[in-house]
Amino acid sequence: MGIPVYPVHLEDPLLQGFYDGLAAGELRITADAETGEWIWYPPEVVPGKPDAVLEWRAVSPEGRAYTYTTIVRSLLPGDHKAEVPFTCVLFEPDDAPGVRVPGILIEDEGVAPACGMRLRFKPVEAGDHWIAGFVPID
Amino acid sequence: MKPNRIAITGVGETPFLRKGDQTVMQMLTRASLAAIADAGLTPADIDGYIANKYVGHGSDEIAHAIGGGEKRFCAAVDSAGGTATCGQAIELAQLAIEAGLARHVLVSYAIWSNKPGGVYAVHAREPQKAGIEMPAGFFGQPTYFASMANRYAHEFGMTEEEQASVPMTYRAWAEITPSAQRRDPMDLEAYRKSPMISTPLRVADCCLTTDGGCAYIVSAVEEARDMPHPVIAVQGVGLGYNNYPQGVLFTQKPSTFEFPGRESAARAYAMAGCDPKDLDLAQIYDGFTISALVQTEMLGLCERGEGPRFYAAGHARPGGRMPVNTSGGHMSGGYVPGINLMIEGVRQLRGREGARQVPNARLCAVAGLGGNSHSTTILARS
Repeated sequence: MGIPVYPVHLEDPLLQGFYDGLAAGELRITADAETGEWIWYPPEVVPGKPDAVLEWRAVSPEGRAYTYTTIVRSLLPGDHKAEVPFTCVLFEPDDAPGVRVPGILIEDEGVAPACGMRLRFKPVEAGDHWIAGFVPID
Repeated sequence: MKPNRIAITGVGETPFLRKGDQTVMQMLTRASLAAIADAGLTPADIDGYIANKYVGHGSDEIAHAIGGGEKRFCAAVDSAGGTATCGQAIELAQLAIEAGLARHVLVSYAIWSNKPGGVYAVHAREPQKAGIEMPAGFFGQPTYFASMANRYAHEFGMTEEEQASVPMTYRAWAEITPSAQRRDPMDLEAYRKSPMISTPLRVADCCLTTDGGCAYIVSAVEEARDMPHPVIAVQGVGLGYNNYPQGVLFTQKPSTFEFPGRESAARAYAMAGCDPKDLDLAQIYDGFTISALVQTEMLGLCERGEGPRFYAAGHARPGGRMPVNTSGGHMSGGYVPGINLMIEGVRQLRGREGARQVPNARLCAVAGLGGNSHSTTILARS
């Protein structure tokens, strides 16, 4: 399986915290600093709370795949033929119900991707940055 | 809103091409003039315009391009995709006509799928997609909908043969539709030869890449009675929305394949005073196999989770008990979001569609999907 290599383009500097977490080996998502409620993806305005402050918090590295798809033809801008196939998953951390983090399935030889499969987070180098990788467990 | 107050009195379109040589404005103009002529009107008769946020041309440009008369009403729809063209525009047109603000309202849409940047450029402009999803390779409508399809199959079950039966059904209709963009026969073997994009979606599971334009005219039913065609009234229209912005829609919604179609259908059926068993046919926004399946269920044409079996049993095919997408839909007929489905609904109810004509068609549902929104319109031949 390949690894997608596409530059991180952060129009919103708030998203940098996600990549800081990956580089530190943690899966971090945003929460309301006051209430602790997970707010994901980090929006420009927290619904109903324009003054709310978001902070990055590490979540459990273990969780489940909500769904997946194996990319055979990458639709990313540019030429990515050499990077396919790879399997994208939407990962739900055990301690953040309802939150989904996109990443790729790794170290999955002989394992068919499936909804609900148990996964463990492991960052993956993709060019000059890290992306979220997920290893099947169980 | 009251049923049977407005009618679709004229329809028109350009050819649907894989790669055309017309600008969006040229296609809008040609389709609009065709619809105006079909209604037996002249451009000077058009006094209402409904433009579309995603087309990029306002009513002033369209009115100028068609040589229209005095503009008395204008608005722009801002829902995405089929919601806008199949429902939101209808609601606005009825409001304008019933308020006496306009007599004949032009609704138009054109798409240049081959524009630089491609059809997915809109997603690349979403900061959250660009910042979080694209570096992980999760990008483009086929990828989003493929992930929905896998979740749907996990919850309800869907074999490859059942999935294939959806595009094969629409292709069967396209084979008998002279204007359809793809008319080559597609059996299971041909389906399996279609290139995979994102599992489980093949090219054949996706709407076509089309350059084309469509338009229709909305008038009061009283006016329609004196116009050239049988009266095709809007018996019901309903919209459904959720508040998930496009940036989070495909990943964070509790169920990624639940569109607000049940809500739009309930509102449309209530206004129309009918239910699914009264329908003679349906046109369903088939951006992808999975989205068509789910909307088929939401319209009530089959039970929840039974869409794959409904199509595999042949119910939607020519000769089936509930014909769906009778000109090939967006997967085989052409993709001008939603609006070519509206046009086909009108034409079927007029009753002159030759080999693909559904016998005695009197009532047609048109379902439009816009990601976080959905519309259902019930058209009726008076």
